Amino acid sequence: MARLRKGFPHIFLMGYLLVILFPFLFVVFSSLKKDNNEIALHPFGLPKEFAFNNYVEAWVNAKISTYFVNSLYISILSAVVSILIGAMFAFAVTRMRHGKWNTIFFSLILVGMLIPNNALMLPIYTLVRKMHILNTHLALIIPYIANAIPFTIIILAAFMRSLPVEIEEAAVIDGLRSPGIFARIVVPLTVPAMVTVFIINFLGNWNEFLLANYFLSDDNLRTLPVGMVQFRDQYQINYAQMSAGIVYSVLPVLIMYAILQEKIIEGVTAGGVKG
Amino acid sequence: MKKSLVLLLSLMMVSTTLLTACGGKDESEKAPTTPSTETPTKVDDSPFELTLRHTQVGADKAKRLAILQDVVKATQEENKGLTIKLDGVESDVNRKEKLRGEMAAGNPPDIFDLFGSPDSKVYAKEGKLLDLTPILSELGLSDKFSSLAPFTYEGKIYGLPVGGSAEGIFYNKEYFTQKGLKVPTNWAEFEDLLAKIKADGKTPFAAASKAGWVPLMLANHLWSRYAGSDVTEKFATGKAKWSDPNVVKGFAKYAEWEKKGYFKKGELGFEYAEYTTQFTSGEVPLLYDGTWKSSVFKKGQSGEKLIGKVGFFNLPAVDGGEGDQTALMRDVNNGYGFSASVASDPKKLAAVKSFIKHYFSEDMVLRGLTEDGVLPAMKIDDAKLTEATKSDALLQDIVSVLNSSKSSFPAFDSLVQGPVTTEISNIQIQKLIGGQTTPEKMGEELQKVQEEANADNE
Amino acid sequence: MNKALKNPTVFILFLLPGLILFFMFFIYPIFSSIYYSFTSWNGVSSTVKYVGFNNYEKALGQERFWISVRNNGFFILFSCFIQVPLIVFFSLLIANVKRLKGLYKTTVFLPSIMSTAVIGILWGFIYEPDIGLLNKIFGIFGIDKIYWLSDEKFAMLSILVTNAWQWTGFYIVMVLAAILSIPKELDEAAAIDGATGFQRATKITLPLITPIISVVIMLSIAGAMKAADIILVMTKGGPAGSTEVMATYMIKYAITNFKYGFGNTIAVLIFIFTLIITVVYQLLIARRNERIEY
Repeated sequence: MARLRKGFPHIFLMGYLLVILFPFLFVVFSSLKKDNNEIALHPFGLPKEFAFNNYVEAWVNAKISTYFVNSLYISILSAVVSILIGAMFAFAVTRMRHGKWNTIFFSLILVGMLIPNNALMLPIYTLVRKMHILNTHLALIIPYIANAIPFTIIILAAFMRSLPVEIEEAAVIDGLRSPGIFARIVVPLTVPAMVTVFIINFLGNWNEFLLANYFLSDDNLRTLPVGMVQFRDQYQINYAQMSAGIVYSVLPVLIMYAILQEKIIEGVTAGGVKG
Repeated sequence: MKKSLVLLLSLMMVSTTLLTACGGKDESEKAPTTPSTETPTKVDDSPFELTLRHTQVGADKAKRLAILQDVVKATQEENKGLTIKLDGVESDVNRKEKLRGEMAAGNPPDIFDLFGSPDSKVYAKEGKLLDLTPILSELGLSDKFSSLAPFTYEGKIYGLPVGGSAEGIFYNKEYFTQKGLKVPTNWAEFEDLLAKIKADGKTPFAAASKAGWVPLMLANHLWSRYAGSDVTEKFATGKAKWSDPNVVKGFAKYAEWEKKGYFKKGELGFEYAEYTTQFTSGEVPLLYDGTWKSSVFKKGQSGEKLIGKVGFFNLPAVDGGEGDQTALMRDVNNGYGFSASVASDPKKLAAVKSFIKHYFSEDMVLRGLTEDGVLPAMKIDDAKLTEATKSDALLQDIVSVLNSSKSSFPAFDSLVQGPVTTEISNIQIQKLIGGQTTPEKMGEELQKVQEEANADNE
Repeated sequence: MNKALKNPTVFILFLLPGLILFFMFFIYPIFSSIYYSFTSWNGVSSTVKYVGFNNYEKALGQERFWISVRNNGFFILFSCFIQVPLIVFFSLLIANVKRLKGLYKTTVFLPSIMSTAVIGILWGFIYEPDIGLLNKIFGIFGIDKIYWLSDEKFAMLSILVTNAWQWTGFYIVMVLAAILSIPKELDEAAAIDGATGFQRATKITLPLITPIISVVIMLSIAGAMKAADIILVMTKGGPAGSTEVMATYMIKYAITNFKYGFGNTIAVLIFIFTLIITVVYQLLIARRNERIEY
């Protein structure tokens, strides 16, 4: 009886896991099938003969490698620059002594967290256009950097505030100026918070769809989510090949998650709570 | 601590170099748009680039892409230093989103797929398009086109049609012979045919209505049969109404067929790509589509299995319909336009000229017809035409439908304003298909939007 | 020592990059949106015409606009009344099992790190009427084909389910962290007093995690107001505009329809609605839970 009671939650939880994992399995199975017909006839389970050519064809047709590299470098670069700019700002408002100005600038940034950024897409579109960077990667990189700034500042400022005052006092005695204190004392101590922020920023950029869809039109510049949607629209008739495409686009994230899961969960939930 | 600092610094280094790299790339892309004023007289074969936006993406358009690529190759050979960068975008996305955005931004590609009416007029009015009138007379092409009307604004030509198309019904000949069915010659026979196919357990028509323009091809033909082929052009001037009883009859017929289950179920979730597949897989025997679809029934294409087994017929005359009952939707609305900025760069202008020369030649037009089923938009000698279509039964079918039709009308979306097009394609036709509206209500609601748009114009 | 940290030039230099970007991409866009929302402009032309409150009257008087508002509302209702109970239920289950805790946590979290666009594609396949997973499963039970994304009755629901599939795990992990941070002694003391598992969950755990649930609701609302990509990928707002939300409606008008001014009006309305909902929620519910961190 007791064992039964103990097993009870597991039944529900296993059911939930099934709901999460089965769609992925379905896609993997389908990607190995010959065509739509075979998917329709044998929807569940693996096919008798594996059709690996879907993977070959999807790789060529979907240009996964191009999109992947684009997404990777845009996401990393934007996330790093946001952290850099955010850290400088957070340092200034938390560690420098400018009394009420610290509070004013910090609250200003706080307001930014309240703004629903999707609603600002049109003016940002015009802005990017005026900067003549539409249809270049900068059209994504700069807005991505800017978008992440309020959040980055808030997390990093919270962290920097918790650092004891004594460390800079010692540094000042050693003759360091504020840029030195920032670069050599505060930044190294803030690295754990930066890792957290990096993960959130990176994932946000990696998954972003709206701007990437409307600000770039050159196929070679596209990011993975947009490229995948376009691939779907063109090859919807061939679900087996499309499934292979989905597998390609999900795999890198899965691998990253497998390696960094603790850090990612911690980072993303922290981001959620503070945001 | 030191290690992290090194890491941070190297990250900074990397990011700044990447940033400058991007900046650099941006400048090099902009450079060609400003004319190279330093050495204008010398023949200069320094490399330059033209971007060409085409819409030949996906397997079904491979033939068209091949033709384009040949033209590009010939153009590049003629212009030293030229590289033409091809950028393929799905047709509807290019027309409704990409090109519009780029036009607004003032950075359209140098050469791009352009929809004739009304798009080219909007862009021409804002001075975004290259005036082609002098180039055409220079190349001796001015009176070679059958019609340039959709691309003409205030007497000047801003785009060139790559071909024409007509819309009608493709049918599966094999299925027809098996079941002893005949191509209908009048409306009663047509209704009878549909009922027989349905009774046979098949869905008569292919349907994929996620994008509203697909079902609207047939709907457009229906209301033009009932209310006259010139009715659509009168909407924008207020001389006719969407709510006129005859127009509504067209909607009602469509709704009736929906109710009878004549269209593939679940159509509102299907993309256009699926439309063809329903027909080529033999699932449905009828496909209402444009003549461009004939290219699918060629070797190596998705409809390979059906080569020689596909026919084409016009929508029969409806009883009591207004006006010419043989009228077909025909247009020369798909073409190429060129960015106005090309004019300020002599090298680019020369390249554009040679692109036009190669693309709009008799050879390419005939190739387009035979390889790809694109109806000529240019005047072609009749003898050559018959010669070219000799071996292709489907093309002969199409040509005979065209010859027996006495008049034509343009597709509705080239005649009514943008908001009306959006209303009917995104909302009304889908509501009608989903049974969420009645034909009468659909007419009224469309008329409301039409009147708003008409008032907005002035 | 204060000198080093009081240098105003350094202070400004450190703030400047952040401030510039902030003004360019947050402050300026808001004012620009407000400005253009009072104009009629096609986004291409060089003439911008001032039209007063015309756009606002038009938007608020349009049935289609209200349908999109309603759909945003569905997002909020679905997350508050269906997702949140599920989140609490599963978090409690995971918190109380001894084995496989890590596996459950890792797996339920998985969908939330994936791109919404890719998830939209994946679920589009699952909903496919002829070969999709869902109809195949339903078929086993003899249920007729359902046209999930093309039938107006099901399209919105299908999207909401997909959205919930993606985000439920994310919130579960958040709530789970809150539950696990409750001092064990509390629970143990209650157990010794003879409280059943259910009693302990409702009497001790639940009250202690209300602040985090309130955060979950707040985040769901924010997410609901932003929803756009999942709809663009799965239905493009169709069939017949029945799954349009405010953001997609805005995009459709501004970019597809040459109505940039009107599009900005919608943007401003999104902004106002979000503000109202946030303020109302904060006043009504969240206030008393303010500033509780776990």
